[in-house]
Amino acid sequence: MLLVGLVFLGPLAYVVWRNVELGTDLVAVIWDRETLEPLVRSLWLASTVAVSSAVVGTALAWLTVRSDLPARRFWKLLAPLPLVFPSFVGATALIAGFAPGGLAEELLSVVGGGSVPDVRGFRGAWLVLTLFTYPYVYLPVAARLAALPPSLEESSRLLGRSPFGVFRSVVLPQTAPAVWAGSLVVFLYAVSDFGAVALLGYDTLAEQVYADRLFNQPRAMGLSLVLAVVALIVIAGERAYERRHRVSELAARSAHPLIVPLGRWRPVAFAGVLVFLGSALIGPLAVFGFWAWRGVTSTSTSVGVATDFGDLLVPTLHSAQAGLITAVVAIAALLPLAWAIARYRSRRAGVANAMVAAGFALPGVVVALSLVFWVIDTPGVSIWYQTMPLLITAYVLHFGTLASRVTRVAVEAVPAQLGEAASTLGARRIRRFLTVELPLMMPGLLAGGGLVLLSTMKELPITLLLAPIGFDTLATKIWGAGEAGALAQGALASLLLVALSAVLTWAVVVRRIEEF
Amino acid sequence: MSCGDGGSGDGSSLTVYSGRTEDLIGPLLEQFSNETGIDVEVRYGDSAELALLLQTEGSSSPADVFISQSPGALGLLAGEGMLAELPDDLTGRVSEGFAGSDHTWVGITGRVRVLVYNKDLVDPADLPQTVLDLAKDAYSGRVAVAPTNGSFQDFVTAMRSELGDQVTVEWLEGLAANQSPNYPKNSAIVEAVARGEVEMGLVNHYYNLRALEADPALASVNYFFPADDVGSLVIVTGGSVLASSDSQSAGEQLLAWLLSEDVQATFVTETQEYSLLPGAGRPEGVPELSGFAADTIDYDVLGGGLTATIEIIRESGIER
Repeated sequence: MLLVGLVFLGPLAYVVWRNVELGTDLVAVIWDRETLEPLVRSLWLASTVAVSSAVVGTALAWLTVRSDLPARRFWKLLAPLPLVFPSFVGATALIAGFAPGGLAEELLSVVGGGSVPDVRGFRGAWLVLTLFTYPYVYLPVAARLAALPPSLEESSRLLGRSPFGVFRSVVLPQTAPAVWAGSLVVFLYAVSDFGAVALLGYDTLAEQVYADRLFNQPRAMGLSLVLAVVALIVIAGERAYERRHRVSELAARSAHPLIVPLGRWRPVAFAGVLVFLGSALIGPLAVFGFWAWRGVTSTSTSVGVATDFGDLLVPTLHSAQAGLITAVVAIAALLPLAWAIARYRSRRAGVANAMVAAGFALPGVVVALSLVFWVIDTPGVSIWYQTMPLLITAYVLHFGTLASRVTRVAVEAVPAQLGEAASTLGARRIRRFLTVELPLMMPGLLAGGGLVLLSTMKELPITLLLAPIGFDTLATKIWGAGEAGALAQGALASLLLVALSAVLTWAVVVRRIEEF
Repeated sequence: MSCGDGGSGDGSSLTVYSGRTEDLIGPLLEQFSNETGIDVEVRYGDSAELALLLQTEGSSSPADVFISQSPGALGLLAGEGMLAELPDDLTGRVSEGFAGSDHTWVGITGRVRVLVYNKDLVDPADLPQTVLDLAKDAYSGRVAVAPTNGSFQDFVTAMRSELGDQVTVEWLEGLAANQSPNYPKNSAIVEAVARGEVEMGLVNHYYNLRALEADPALASVNYFFPADDVGSLVIVTGGSVLASSDSQSAGEQLLAWLLSEDVQATFVTETQEYSLLPGAGRPEGVPELSGFAADTIDYDVLGGGLTATIEIIRESGIER
């Protein structure tokens, strides 16, 4: 476990080393209006996105798992998918739809005109990040709700509480750790994202790192360190809070989670879900569908409308391969850490956990370069340079926190006494783990794996720099098409990416969360 | 992994890091491979990020050749002594001024800075005679810029070397005072101008040509500044051979092949860029390659001076 922690130290240690090597004047870099203003914007954006994602993600999870929402299986399939849009792709779709002169304005002009709200700046960045990151909350909360023993709610109801009262006194406290875990991930993601904020013109710290990455490396590295420190402070703060507020959680195997009838709120809830998922998923898909259709039906061979479906088949396989392997490795590598934190509250595990989180808050380029730095001249490991094992390692370093946070919630929900009871009955430790504890944690583990899967499939800079030559993914194809102005081909690849995510999350995550 | 790519000796295989995307150069590299029998492996990526990768890899880099979309990334690596000196007969193929003065890289294609405008919103009589005019009140809020984009930074560096820092800073501050709308990259500006979200924008010439290919009904039109105006700067894409490569001659062979007349003609017709060969043809509907760039701008200044340029751009307040 210490070794795992040590590997996770890699990116942060690299950033510190580069700052020393370049002689970055950290005080001058940080104590500057051009740094502090973007920093405040980063924190403001990340906080607001975390709050809105928490609200939307929790509400959607409850509606799809515990209520009689119409077409709930369908929504359950769609709800995690917006996460797979690379944020620059989501922002592009939003701008095409809602910017002045965009598709929405055209539609409005047909029905007599009207003004479209301005999507640039803070509002646009907040909207795009909320629409495309709420699954970080949705998936763990849905998994938690599926594992919540119905007996708790039933007894609460027998005590005469109203459905809302049951929600507040039983469901909310039991899901709070999952909501926290998800919101924290959203916060860290929003801090590190630059694709959407750059396109929407909201100047954050991550965007400054991006602008300075080549020609002002001391500042870029100084700011990267600031990003990592922000992550560490947030994680430390969360741990301190956690120590003081701890609810005892319970998980149980239940084939039939309690379904709450929505009654007269049913149409309202349905409309709400329709509008939200319409904006997060169906809207962008419609824009891509339009571009791709225009390409497929066109006879022109010019780069803007040319499409080549065959060129995307192998990248589709590569995306699936990278995502699935990374998800499995991440869960396997971080389960022991999550276990140590949840069960033994070890301080060392707490530090390792903070390192894992820092890897998520650092921009992907920095994580990739750190691996280049550590591996390329190191005897014994240099033969792995730009191979699949190294690529997977880089993904795990970047996305490990997605697995560890959600996994921890899953571990915490397994009553420690359960294992002890089994132990006194003579079951051996490993068997006990496999037969008693693992199945109880499974929904949580799958949710964590799902987050890693979707995040890996949209990852770009690490893939471009560290993948074996020729290992194209759908994300690199979308990027390449964007750079070349191949609108139709990029749209086609985006549609394929969403379709692939739908198939994989359904087969591997959503369907199985219900089985356990 | 040691130097080079572990191929069996000089000339049998090449590893290329390419900032040009696969659509724009992949088929050509394949053709080179077929014609010469040299196996070519390509890593595609963003030019700036590939330069960072090469810098971090140092002398252990598996790359033999680096093809960059911007002279800035080449200048950075040249400054670190990572690029090999190319022979005169290679750098001499392009018109003077389109290769590094230290012969560490050679231009492959050229793009010209233009002002793209929406023909429904802008009266051609309102178009400026010089890029400097865009800082005037008359253009307040009307001109989109991409201050964090490499091409814009190259352009500002050229302006500094040509007109001095004071004029450049005043121009940037004028654009900032004009609240010129910000975009992250050229293509986003062209899309915004075509939609009518903003009237004009400073970009490279070929983005609009490609947008029009996809949808000829778009209202966006390229305006070329007069040839003697710094606004019409030529920005080259370039190629180089890594000093750490053990396939130097095969690398040079690839660059020479990319500069052959047939391949250059392909760039002109397929990607609508300028050829840098003396007397070469040019894409349809664009003015002759002349004026700025050729022998007036020292591209090495673009590399070394970029750190200061980025600082100047940021301090002007244009990014806000």
